Amino acid sequence: MARPVDCEEIVVSDARTAILDRIDRALKTARIPVVSAGARGVQPGEFGPSGTLIDRFVAEARALGVEAFVEGSPDAVRARLALLTDGRRVLAWNPDRLPYGADAVVSGAARGSSPRDEQAAADVGVTGCHGAIAETGSLALLSLPGCPRAASLLPPLHVALVRPDNFFFGMGDFFEARTDQIAAASNCTFVTGPSRTADIELSLTIGVHGPARVIVIVGP
Amino acid sequence: MSDAPGSPERLALLGFGDRARAALADRQLHVALDRTTAQFGSRRLAALATLDDADAVRDRARATKMDALRGLGDALRMFERRLTENGARVHWAETDADANRIVVDIARQAGVRRVVKGKTMVSEETHLNGALEGAGLEVVETDLGEYIVQLGHDRPSHIIAPIVHMTREQVGRLMHERLQVPYSDDTETLARYARERLRAAFLRADMGITGANFGVVENGAICLVTNEGNGRMVTTLPRVHVVMMGIEKLVPTMADLDRFLKLLARSATGQKLTAYTTLLRGPRRTGEDGGPDDMHVVILDNGRSSILAGETAEILGCIRCGACLNACPVYKNIGGHAYGAVYMGPVGAIVTPGIRGIEQAAELPGASSLCGACREVCPIRLDIPRMLLALRSAAVRLTPQPIALRLGLKAFARIASRPSVYRAAMSAMRRVLRARARDGWITRAPGLAAGWTRFRDFKAPAAQTFEQQWRARSTARRSS
Repeated sequence: MARPVDCEEIVVSDARTAILDRIDRALKTARIPVVSAGARGVQPGEFGPSGTLIDRFVAEARALGVEAFVEGSPDAVRARLALLTDGRRVLAWNPDRLPYGADAVVSGAARGSSPRDEQAAADVGVTGCHGAIAETGSLALLSLPGCPRAASLLPPLHVALVRPDNFFFGMGDFFEARTDQIAAASNCTFVTGPSRTADIELSLTIGVHGPARVIVIVGP
Repeated sequence: MSDAPGSPERLALLGFGDRARAALADRQLHVALDRTTAQFGSRRLAALATLDDADAVRDRARATKMDALRGLGDALRMFERRLTENGARVHWAETDADANRIVVDIARQAGVRRVVKGKTMVSEETHLNGALEGAGLEVVETDLGEYIVQLGHDRPSHIIAPIVHMTREQVGRLMHERLQVPYSDDTETLARYARERLRAAFLRADMGITGANFGVVENGAICLVTNEGNGRMVTTLPRVHVVMMGIEKLVPTMADLDRFLKLLARSATGQKLTAYTTLLRGPRRTGEDGGPDDMHVVILDNGRSSILAGETAEILGCIRCGACLNACPVYKNIGGHAYGAVYMGPVGAIVTPGIRGIEQAAELPGASSLCGACREVCPIRLDIPRMLLALRSAAVRLTPQPIALRLGLKAFARIASRPSVYRAAMSAMRRVLRARARDGWITRAPGLAAGWTRFRDFKAPAAQTFEQQWRARSTARRSS
């Protein structure tokens, strides 16, 4: 958790004083346009959801190249996961962090506490998720204990298990509803489709450093 | 030394006009620019259309950024406090050299030998790589575009697409030469070459360096957006993470951040969001697996506070999406290197004089037709043409103008402020110009106007002025 800080912990350097003094002086002459309150436009949350959140999420994610499965029972989730991980080296979140009793399927997996070489050698990363953003088809992943960042980053395939209560319409809704949980983690990452680049002639290339394949299994 | 087109050694020898002429004559550059710049525009439009009310989001973002600038001093103090509460160390750098010294000191104290970098324009601005290498550190750029720039000892030519000036054939030849891999012009293969080499670099690096797309004042979060995943690698695997950011990168709240993220990727690459949007709040916490032991944030001024004091303060609201480059008819024809500066295009023509002083970049505000396309596409609706004009006035005031020009303008002012004299003068001018025209065009104008036709042809004036035609037509209408 973040901790409260005494004023004394902030190092007052000459550079800090000089920069802040210059800024305060600059603001007396700065020409910054005044934008009228009337032009402030819509408030967050005014973007209304269309259709159910799960439908929208699945459509957006598929458009990005994510494979999405909606399963009707925990058994079906585990069966789907078994198909994807069978015979492969797995790096997974800790057992208590995976929903649907999925840990039974990946019991031999490497964890966040395993040696880095072992984590880096995994073929499949298996994670839960802390939020699923319908508007953009994004998975929100927090680096809480037992939820190593590497599981959604190092292996070429990332499989995420999503529960119905994970869904939010927009990122802003997730920020608002999960403020405390987000504050408890040093890292919050939104994964929106597979790793990609368009640096060479804007030509889309999938799978650069992060997973080339992202699979989402939505359970009951 | 290097012979790459963007190499500082080559560019330093030329003025802007010469660089622009060289760029216009560079066929490879035009193949590369043509393959990309047109796509940027249409992708941006399609992506913005997926927002319920993109214009309202832009208005709100503009208001937020301008308010944030008005309260910048207090916002920075609060942000520093939140960063410290999150367990990050905050450093302040007045100049580029100060920033580099701070990063080198952090590396030395932590016993760092190998550094991996995410894409950061601020580190380009401070020429950090040279400073780190000078201190004996191994530095590897990990964004694909920046990696290729580093391989070729080149410079980025676009804010978000560093090698937009290269064709894939050129990238293939460079990798073939520098990495001893088989030549390929297939982008998948070229990306794989880079991935294989960079994976090892990520796993053995001691320090990761990134910029910041946004800093959130209310909770001290550093927001980074990347597509490749290199930003996540650089902030997750090495034991030290250093963020370099300008003083202007702040947004007040997470709700504001949400709005800026809606605009950034759409304006930059035409995506709703980039593949990875990461919020970093200090080093690894107790019980977490992965993440750095130490996080440092270097807050850089380097001329920004002097920009804030003047006519171009508004430019500090820029979120570096690059949309103004893609829309600019000048950028689309000369590319980024011709600007001879780290920040290019319309935004660069304002930021560069601000950082270096107008006397060091007096030509750049002139590198615009003032068509307003930049203002039109800017997600924050920055009034770029107004700022370019303000800088042009400042540049003109720097040097005494030739006597002929000053007298000529005085004479013009006397003529233009007397309608009957003005009409007579224009009528005479029209006759002279029409007499000189060949096939409706004047290719060489007389006297002071010769400067105009040195670089472009001038359309011959019509036989009758608009005013004359208007009168004739309304007379005809009334009498019919």
